[in-house]
Amino acid sequence: MSTEKQSLRRTLDRLFVPLTVGPTMLWIAAVIVYPTLQLFWSSVFWTNPINGQREFVGLRNFKRLVFAEEGGAFLGLAPDFVSITWHTVVYVGLSVSISFALGLGIALLLDKDLKGRGWFRTAVIVPWILPYVMSGLMWRWMFQSEYGAINGLLTQSGLLSSKIAFFSDGTLAMMALIIADIWVFTPFIIIILLAGLQNVPEQLYDAAEVDGAGRISRFVNVTYPFLKPSILVALTIRIIFDIRALDLVWVMTQGGPGKSTEVWASWLYRTAQVFNRPGEGAALGVVLLAVTFMIVAVLYNVFGESPY
Amino acid sequence: MSTNQSTLSQLIAALGLDTDNEWPHVVRERLVAYGLLGLYVFVIWFPIYFIFITSIKPSGAVLDIPISFLPTQPTVSNYVEIFQNRPFELYTLNSLIVASTTTIICVTLGTVTGYSFSRYDFVGNKALLLSIVGARMIPPIALIVPFFTIMSNPPLIGGLTGSLYDTRIALILTYTFFNLPFAVWIMKNYFDGVPESLDEQARIDGCSRWEGFVKIILPMAKPGIAATAILAFIFSWNEFVFALVLTSSEQAQTLPIAVSLFVADDFVDWAHLAAGGMIAALPGILFGLFFQQYIVSGLTQGAVKE
Repeated sequence: MSTEKQSLRRTLDRLFVPLTVGPTMLWIAAVIVYPTLQLFWSSVFWTNPINGQREFVGLRNFKRLVFAEEGGAFLGLAPDFVSITWHTVVYVGLSVSISFALGLGIALLLDKDLKGRGWFRTAVIVPWILPYVMSGLMWRWMFQSEYGAINGLLTQSGLLSSKIAFFSDGTLAMMALIIADIWVFTPFIIIILLAGLQNVPEQLYDAAEVDGAGRISRFVNVTYPFLKPSILVALTIRIIFDIRALDLVWVMTQGGPGKSTEVWASWLYRTAQVFNRPGEGAALGVVLLAVTFMIVAVLYNVFGESPY
Repeated sequence: MSTNQSTLSQLIAALGLDTDNEWPHVVRERLVAYGLLGLYVFVIWFPIYFIFITSIKPSGAVLDIPISFLPTQPTVSNYVEIFQNRPFELYTLNSLIVASTTTIICVTLGTVTGYSFSRYDFVGNKALLLSIVGARMIPPIALIVPFFTIMSNPPLIGGLTGSLYDTRIALILTYTFFNLPFAVWIMKNYFDGVPESLDEQARIDGCSRWEGFVKIILPMAKPGIAATAILAFIFSWNEFVFALVLTSSEQAQTLPIAVSLFVADDFVDWAHLAAGGMIAALPGILFGLFFQQYIVSGLTQGAVKE
């Protein structure tokens, strides 16, 4: 081998890390860092919807979203902010807790030494892989007031005499959304927890059984300590993905009836795109970003683990 | 009667319930587990079944009362009509191009970068890795305003190409934003599980770093690459929010948007929507049925801590 060739090889080897990491970092800078900076920048401007002129307004966009003001007089928190935040808490809280309980139960069943559990696992995972739009519209069809399957089952079996207009009632519409959300995301919990259950040493179960430990005691003392990291990951990802999720809400209720199922994600989309107020949309984006990082910090503190 | 009994005993044997040496409570527990799992699977598959039979009913029969839960007069006319009356072949093509290009970019960059993060303790390694974890937590929807602004008026190439709004390029660039950090993370975790002695052996055998990586390590990483590719493809294929924000015509709209377009203000064309939805769902169902283990391992690799 010629010396030039060898020195080229050595140079290329020295450049291995810059050449393999550099392009990715540049790409990330372009598609993540730059838009994120732009987000903060946009949030302090107000765009005139008629001529598109931008005007620096400081924190006014944030103030307008959170506080109610009239003629400079402070009237407390904005009603929309309070109600939409409450819907988000209800939606995320109920969806995550119910799907967590359900997912844990199914994961524990699938962890048993059952024949055909591969089939069950496949069957259980599929809802999560479908496009959310298709799942949302599917559930909208299930809950449809005249021709939907749920009304059909309830009336044709004689359980109900008249059909229920699910999407005309705020509470029922929220319930439909939560059911769809649980349907879509429970498989994710099952996958993560099932992987965590593989870490529990089999002998410990046997030892606990010999000691006469009951089902609950076995779960608390043997399973839980090994499962804790997986529970943390499942809950964290589940919560931060639910806060940002627009797909289901947008295709099922569009925040309606009225504003009864409006959550932060749909509020953000409506403000920025439908009402064409990018400044306030960006301000909401900044809030969502901050809330996400706060939730992660709190969860990792509660579980007493380091995120990295 | 005797055939019934033999089918029953075959079933019992198939489920592993015939073991004499096990305690009755073990058998009972298994029966309960099968019962609960069976019920769960039945309930979660029922909506999929219902939308499927909706898609193969004649479009008028969808609004029949009482609702029929069996496919009477099955037909493929809804599937044919959505390709005839709407540009579904273009939507499908857009979805394919966007999802596969995003996947290729993310898997290529994610693999080489994940490898370096796994093997080399270079300056800024920890900080960069931390920024990738942080990037994964950014809620994509928070960035719809900047992405809409940037794609409508791209800063560097704006003078050359004009707006990227309503192009597949805009979607591809956007989708790398949430798939690339994920790909780097999965691949880094995957390479962490490939023994470093293999790298050393390659160096001893006279391979350069590049040769060792390409010839020895990459072949070992195929399952990790497959998992990353499948997940990146599914995430891009299913994406809806940015497609809604960044596209407006069939030159870039993808299948999730196409399906949502069956919803008009006061009327939903359920039969055709169901057919379109089934087409959009097809890759997911196929991946789920045939590549389930890659999806599971990818998600698990992506979720575990360092």
